[in-house]
Amino acid sequence: MQTANQLSLKGLTVWRIYGLIQTAFVVLVSTGLIVLNLLFFELWWLYLALATIAIAIALVSIWVMPNLRWNRWRYEVREHEIELQHGILIKKRTLVPMVRVQHVDTEQGPILRNYQLASIHISTAATQHTIPFLDEQEAEAMRQRISVLARVAEEDV
Amino acid sequence: MSEERYKLHPVAAVITFVKGLKELIFPIVIFLFLGSSGDAESGWFRFIPYILTASALVLYLISGIIKWWKFVYWFEDGELRIEYGLFVKKKRYIPFDRIQSLDYTESIFHRPFGLVKVKVETAGGGIGKEAEAELTAIRLEAAEQIKQEMLAAKAGAKSVETEEGTTEQLAEQIRQEEPVLHRMSSKDLIVLAVTSGGIGVIFSGAAVVLSQFSEFIPYEQIYDEVLSLLRFGAALIAIFAFVVLLVTFLLSIGFTYLQNYDFTVSRDGKDILLKRGLLEKKRTTIPLHRIQGVQLVENPFRQLFGYVTIVIDSAGGSVLEKSETVKLVPLIKRDQAMHLLTELFPELPIEVDFVRPPKRARKFYYRINLLMIGLIGAVLSYFFFPYGLLFFVLAPISIAFDLWSHRTAGIAIHDKHLVMQYRFFSRKTVWLEKRRIQAQMQSQSYFEQRSDVASLHATIKSGALGSRHSIKALEADVARSTMDWYQPRSN
Repeated sequence: MQTANQLSLKGLTVWRIYGLIQTAFVVLVSTGLIVLNLLFFELWWLYLALATIAIAIALVSIWVMPNLRWNRWRYEVREHEIELQHGILIKKRTLVPMVRVQHVDTEQGPILRNYQLASIHISTAATQHTIPFLDEQEAEAMRQRISVLARVAEEDV
Repeated sequence: MSEERYKLHPVAAVITFVKGLKELIFPIVIFLFLGSSGDAESGWFRFIPYILTASALVLYLISGIIKWWKFVYWFEDGELRIEYGLFVKKKRYIPFDRIQSLDYTESIFHRPFGLVKVKVETAGGGIGKEAEAELTAIRLEAAEQIKQEMLAAKAGAKSVETEEGTTEQLAEQIRQEEPVLHRMSSKDLIVLAVTSGGIGVIFSGAAVVLSQFSEFIPYEQIYDEVLSLLRFGAALIAIFAFVVLLVTFLLSIGFTYLQNYDFTVSRDGKDILLKRGLLEKKRTTIPLHRIQGVQLVENPFRQLFGYVTIVIDSAGGSVLEKSETVKLVPLIKRDQAMHLLTELFPELPIEVDFVRPPKRARKFYYRINLLMIGLIGAVLSYFFFPYGLLFFVLAPISIAFDLWSHRTAGIAIHDKHLVMQYRFFSRKTVWLEKRRIQAQMQSQSYFEQRSDVASLHATIKSGALGSRHSIKALEADVARSTMDWYQPRSN
């Protein structure tokens, strides 16, 4: 078995941006709570708690999780099957035979477009699998490659 | 080329009307009740609910008649063509070679006239209902004619005007019974009816009806009476509850009996044919090549008496309506079931040796449930101090049950089949053919990794959606070799 490929390094940045958005949301909520606290309750420990939570979430969602995720993610498109490996707490290894693939889509939101990335969705008759971050051209090439390989192996469901 | 337009039997109008009536009956009842509860409204206003109800009925009747009147079907260019609709004309052309099966149902309205309802099932892959059709009521001969047209089209022959003689011959051929592989005995049928889970459904149905009526019961008036009644007659209420339970139980037995009366499984070429029903006869066709997986379901109570249910997962079409799993046999003795399965699916490995999860994997079966019980129990005990502790009684029960699940779980590979056994409440034994498994996954949590075990998940197509079967905490090597087995070879 060949060593599987890793996601585009720019994907790490995108995950960090997602983490940043999450953190911004948390900061927004805790700011609201702080204002309420200032006006009504004036509990000193609440500031400390909120600050700790916000910093912890920032650390985890911007630094720890994206790194772990990116390190764990592996994919490999072979002639007869697609293999995916991912998951931090629960490590998952998925096999999708090429004969079972029904269609492949690429998707690109505004953030991904900014980084010339695209995600790829592989659908079988019953499941869907996603490779989150690939370089635009690579995703397109893979989409075409999978469709060709899947078409060769046409079989009744 | 025959382009004669055929109509449905006029009874179709009545059936459509009655079907509409079934939907209407609840609103009407409520409506009439609401109307009559209005306080002594003067003059003809009192009659408004009745007038509206009557006009709704008339409208439904007329729409039923129009539906029948405008509905035509014919055969052309190897297609079944249907046209209907008064203002918006709808046309539906179904190529015969796309038709998977024709399913017949005979309700009590059909049977006196020798009619059937025909459902045309296509290999639509389960997306959208566009390519399906239903002929509400046609003569049996007409149904057979459709079947002949379909067979002829599939055989590549042009649909030629069939002569009188041949039609009859063909009809005769179809009317002949296919060899019956299994027929449910009346003893099995009664066991099924008595142990059926339909009880709960009917009971909750009764509860719903009662709660619907609660609006119309003048509570204030009754209240005082009930209070005095409560003082005297708690027993009376208990009796009432018991009677309600008993009646619903008997009703459920009756329904199950009627629905599954004379349940037969037969094989018709490349299809499995299921027939059942006393008042309403149903025929279901399951094309063998659409079958994705076979399950043997053993409810613990039935397992005690050696009874099992055989369930089949099928892909797409609307043969099996919502859930896309169909009961091949609702209740059958275990050894008979094995016999039937070997006959229908000769390749299925019936007797296999399961590789069970190792003893050290036990904790992965009970730990999460125990944790949940601990958490919920702690919260309950905190808020409802002495009584909340009662919740912890669940802990030993849960452990016992999860250990049982651990003992039941197992996996076996047999050439082209993956056999999985696990328990949720009922024990399930699942046969999955390699080429029917859409994707297979091995998962390993941090804790599982430390114990060198891994879980395995296989997804097959079942209807429009997938159905996933999992075995928790197998020996890591076993999980890995199962993945290797699934991996396509390069030749």
